[in-house]
Amino acid sequence: MIRLENVTKRYGTETVAVRDASFDIAKGDFVFLVGPSGSGKSTLLRLINRQEQPERGDVWVAGQNVNEMAESRVPYLRRNMGNVFQDYKLLPNKTVFENVAFALEVIGKPRHVINRQVPVVLELVGLAGKEDRFPEQLSGGEQQRVSIARAFVNRPLIMLADEPTGNLDPATGEGIMALLEEINRTGTTVVMATHDHRVVNAMRKRVIQLDRGVIVRDQERGVYE
Amino acid sequence: MIARVAYAFREMWASFRRNLTLTVAAILTSAIALLLVGATFLIQRAFDNLLVQWRGDVEMIVFVRSDATPEQISLIDQTIKAAPTIIDVDKLRYLDKTQSYEEAKRIFVGDPVTLSLLTPDNIPSQFKVVPITQDPELVRSLSEQYRSLPGVQDVALAEDEFQVISTLSRFVRTVTLVMSLVLLVVAVGLIWNTIRTAMFARRREIEVMKLVGATNWFIRVPFMLEGLLHGLLGGIASCGGLWVLNSAWTNGVAGFKPGTGISSLVVPSGYLTGVMLLILAIGALVGAVGSAIAASRFLDV
Repeated sequence: MIRLENVTKRYGTETVAVRDASFDIAKGDFVFLVGPSGSGKSTLLRLINRQEQPERGDVWVAGQNVNEMAESRVPYLRRNMGNVFQDYKLLPNKTVFENVAFALEVIGKPRHVINRQVPVVLELVGLAGKEDRFPEQLSGGEQQRVSIARAFVNRPLIMLADEPTGNLDPATGEGIMALLEEINRTGTTVVMATHDHRVVNAMRKRVIQLDRGVIVRDQERGVYE
Repeated sequence: MIARVAYAFREMWASFRRNLTLTVAAILTSAIALLLVGATFLIQRAFDNLLVQWRGDVEMIVFVRSDATPEQISLIDQTIKAAPTIIDVDKLRYLDKTQSYEEAKRIFVGDPVTLSLLTPDNIPSQFKVVPITQDPELVRSLSEQYRSLPGVQDVALAEDEFQVISTLSRFVRTVTLVMSLVLLVVAVGLIWNTIRTAMFARRREIEVMKLVGATNWFIRVPFMLEGLLHGLLGGIASCGGLWVLNSAWTNGVAGFKPGTGISSLVVPSGYLTGVMLLILAIGALVGAVGSAIAASRFLDV
């Protein structure tokens, strides 16, 4: 589903964000990218959804070479990916329903599809009944659920999560992880960048560890260390 | 499809109202610029009425009496052609009565009284003479000679009548054209800035749109429509202004003494309509260009 071949990415001329990274993630996998801040976890995610392009090497997603893709095809690539962030990136002037509906609206889905799919996904993330709230009226955990609902409403092949539990207390974080695991069980490939030991150790999934841009460990059913 | 169009217009309208101050400034600037563009066209056309009979370097016109015989006309023709070192014989044109009457319709467009006295029968026909020589005295002495020929009613020299107006016309055209071009550039800049501000205000939304896979065109179109609307509204405002100005001018000119030439300085209403349509088109274009540059340039917020 996702394959990196000898990928190197530098910011400017000095800072090496990722150096010679290679890995293969199969469909339906659940993978943690771990390592301290600045080790290149976020850059890897940004390379996968083509917010960044590598200096050397190739990134393949669902059989397509992402770097050789025409600019005009990128939006269609991204429709196969859901993105979840530490800071949720919700639109403050839209309700829960509108935030989730927005993701379908801007890719041209008709109203009746939106009205059918949004309640289903809100039910899935446990926010049924809160459709008309605004983000500021929700707790952090609930806001992250909205953002997961927005990422998942289009049933993507891949879910990219960048520190989704970073702003949450441990108990709330567990709830979010349970949700991501449930989404993973539907066949969606999940790639999550985190430096949260507890989460990684509790889940026992594949772990790819980075240190200053270099992959130092790639382990099935790993722990954080 | 309908949902997308509805979305684009809804977003355009929301953004349009959000930045009212900038929006008004952009519209006013484009309106003033377009007003000047329109005025340039109208002024030019009005001067053209006066200058139409001197078009093509014509320096001298020999008016032939309406009752002149064909023999007299042919004698005049030969006399003019007899001075090939002074007169450009190839450019010599003869306008018969019908052609002269057509021309008179333009010259006396604002002077219906005079025009009504003319008919294709009683109007003088004319020779349009283009000199080769640079010496005005030579042309003047020729004109004296032609004036004494049988059948010649009068000889008019551009030097006496329209040199000043021609120069004035050229000056006015240059000034208005330069000013309107400068203002058009300013209008594009203001629309550009308005759209940029609108996009900056919505950068979070645009970021989310890009991440969930909205195409660049989907994101861009509402902003481009907004810029287009700025330009069009400016165009509409300037059309109104142009119409008011032209009406006032036409009414004012009608009060002038016939035959002073000033009464020629009006434009037919069909031409005014054409200029208005042109202004609307330029307005839309200016808006689209300004916003397209902004929308492409700032899509990576």
